[in-house]
Amino acid sequence: MDFTISRHKDIDTSPKTAMRSKSRFRRKDVFGWLLILPSLILFTFYIWEPLLENIRLSFCSAKLYTVTGFAGLDNYKAVIGDVDFMAAFRNTFSYTFWSLVIGFLVPIIMAVLISETVHGKSLFRVGVYFPNIMPTLATIWVWSYFFMPGDTGVLNILLGKLGIAPSQWLNNAHFTIPLIIITMTWKSAGSTALIYMANISGISPDLYEAATIDGASIWQRVAHITVPSIFSIARTMLILQVISVFQIMYEPMIFKNGGPGNASISLMMLMYRYLTRDYNVPKAAALSVLVSIFLVVLSIVYMSLTRDKEDKR
Amino acid sequence: MKKKLLSILLLSTMTLAAVTACGNSEAPESTQLEESSEPAPAADKAEDAGDEKTQEEAAPTSDSAEKEVTITLGIWPEDTLTDDIAVHEGYVETMKELHPGVTVVPAYYKYSTDTFMPMVESGNCPTIFESWFTEPQKLINAGAIADITDELAARGWLDAMNPSIRELLSDENGRVYGIPRDGYALGLMLNMELFEEAGLVDDEGYPIVPKTWDELAETAKKIKDATGSAGLCLLAKDAAGGWHFSNIAWAFGATLCTENADGTFTADLNSPEAVKAMEFVKSLKWDYDVLTADPLSEDWGTGFTQLGTGGAAMYIGANDAVAQPTQVNGLPVDKLAMCAIPAADGGQFSLYGGTPYMFSKDATPEEINAALDYLEIMGKAPVATEASIAGMKADAENKVANGVPVIQRFPCWVNQDVLDAEAAIVEEYGNVDPKLYETYFAAASSEGLHLEEPGSTQDMYAELTKVLQTVLTDKDSDVQALMDQADANYQKILDDTFGAAN
Repeated sequence: MDFTISRHKDIDTSPKTAMRSKSRFRRKDVFGWLLILPSLILFTFYIWEPLLENIRLSFCSAKLYTVTGFAGLDNYKAVIGDVDFMAAFRNTFSYTFWSLVIGFLVPIIMAVLISETVHGKSLFRVGVYFPNIMPTLATIWVWSYFFMPGDTGVLNILLGKLGIAPSQWLNNAHFTIPLIIITMTWKSAGSTALIYMANISGISPDLYEAATIDGASIWQRVAHITVPSIFSIARTMLILQVISVFQIMYEPMIFKNGGPGNASISLMMLMYRYLTRDYNVPKAAALSVLVSIFLVVLSIVYMSLTRDKEDKR
Repeated sequence: MKKKLLSILLLSTMTLAAVTACGNSEAPESTQLEESSEPAPAADKAEDAGDEKTQEEAAPTSDSAEKEVTITLGIWPEDTLTDDIAVHEGYVETMKELHPGVTVVPAYYKYSTDTFMPMVESGNCPTIFESWFTEPQKLINAGAIADITDELAARGWLDAMNPSIRELLSDENGRVYGIPRDGYALGLMLNMELFEEAGLVDDEGYPIVPKTWDELAETAKKIKDATGSAGLCLLAKDAAGGWHFSNIAWAFGATLCTENADGTFTADLNSPEAVKAMEFVKSLKWDYDVLTADPLSEDWGTGFTQLGTGGAAMYIGANDAVAQPTQVNGLPVDKLAMCAIPAADGGQFSLYGGTPYMFSKDATPEEINAALDYLEIMGKAPVATEASIAGMKADAENKVANGVPVIQRFPCWVNQDVLDAEAAIVEEYGNVDPKLYETYFAAASSEGLHLEEPGSTQDMYAELTKVLQTVLTDKDSDVQALMDQADANYQKILDDTFGAAN
């Protein structure tokens, strides 16, 4: 305890006092602090301060961003009682669910397949990453043409060639969310696959060689060497994916503006509406705080559960 | 230990930042509260104050030329509209002559809800800007725009404003926050090329326009069969869909919201009439199949694109937007026609309102006056001075040059000299056959004019749009159940906002 206090003092006092036994260590410290100072300042003003301000706003009433009074939990009550909240809440889970069903395994499979490929590895690697360099908006517009209902949509034209009646695609409320997830997977699976590939390439070739000598088939190699090796990174990627999909906004907003009906509205889209349609900053702040609380809790629970599992392994 | 130190340092930095941030925002907070609470006193008191100022400020208004004032014009045309910019440069020249103390800074701003708020908060709002018909009440409630009652009163413009439009631009105390750029009344825009192709023209070549919604469905069907283009472009992407639908619902006899004596509101989205109107819209998709490929992708702007480029033959639009299908989307000026919104059992109605000019909340009275002077020169003010008539002429010449119909304006000002001046301009520069607009203007001056429904109208439109989206995508949707749900949702919003009716 004494030690803590004395060190704390040292930081606050001038360099003169830093001339005792651990002076070299402290000087190095100061240099370190100076190095991170710019980031610290930027983080403070661009991340932490807005975050705190957001939390403060969610408990206030305001005109635009100017606080006019303390509102307690009123904003939170208004958000939860909102006529669109339940739909957005349900849909957000639906997005997360479908993103795990459709999107989680795809990059892993891609990475394993490409890693096992002998010829043209680079070509495939570039190929799967390619959609990722397209801006999100452009991706959405391109897919919009594919999904357009009626006779002019690209997919419907293709179906027509096969003699199949045109589909409504995104306008069919049952398919809106899974189809949006497919487009997102198309776009981002490649970059996730790269991370897995990097991980797989870090596995010692000796293991594979030994397994091959022992007569292991390709599937056995994947099942017993590759998959266990990427378990740890997959665990992180899964929670990152949940966190990112939970905050989905652009895709439903631009594809169908949350429709048809409320079939694709998400929590973040609802927040954006509070902010830009209603100019209700506190309500938007309250919803974003709710979303972050949920994600923080989810992450903690998930990490503690999987940590146990990993320890046992 | 190191971690502990780090967290202490981080925490103190964050606290410091939070504290300084609070400090910063608190200073303007108090001044702003004072500002916004100032106009709050009872309406009559405010009116009195306005009247008093009328005498006092009459001099400063004409004097404002002496003072150095800089105004930023959000109403400046965007860079690509070079002809329009040339017209505005002409206005600036006139401004320099008449008001030498005023410096005009072009600051093109296209109102959009995601940029407006940060712009206002950072103090970068142009002195004058245009907004949408839907926005005034929202902006007034948010305290984001200037109260210009005193400036208008000093100029004697208040009483010249069409009373219904004035109401749209006023708060509950009667203070006015904007002036109309244009009044508008919804009508039906027609693409004459498609009507001609489908043979839907009379002996003289005028389009045979639908007078009822049933006729519209039949007409649309004929056009679709003959040309392959959609008969009607119906909006269902955003609140504009609900906005158009409210006009359709009135024709079927619906009243969508009623204001009660105690200041509460009662929603009525699930009346038999409203349901019938929604059933009709549903039939346009599933029985007649006359809509564009995906109404859920159509909004106000794409509707004009469909109409202008021959994607659809009919579209609900207003007289203040005739540049959209023509200048913006390339429809020849003589191929655009307008007729009245069709009628049904409930009668014929045309929704009307005004597109507003609004002013930065940070603008001083001198700046507001200078901006109003500029509007005068543009010919958008209720004065028929030499300069304003010259402004109207320049505008009309520019329209003729760019293939935009020069037609009557919907009267947003009621003083006769301005109306006469406008009529003379249309007479002189008219570039379209007035018969193509005959039934539209007949309806726009009839008793069928109908203001927007009262009470959280945007929320009502949002609820209606959700129903539209469902009925246009699900053939088996239950219209009654959907309208019941929309009604319940809308009533909840009304109760939350204005209190529940007893």
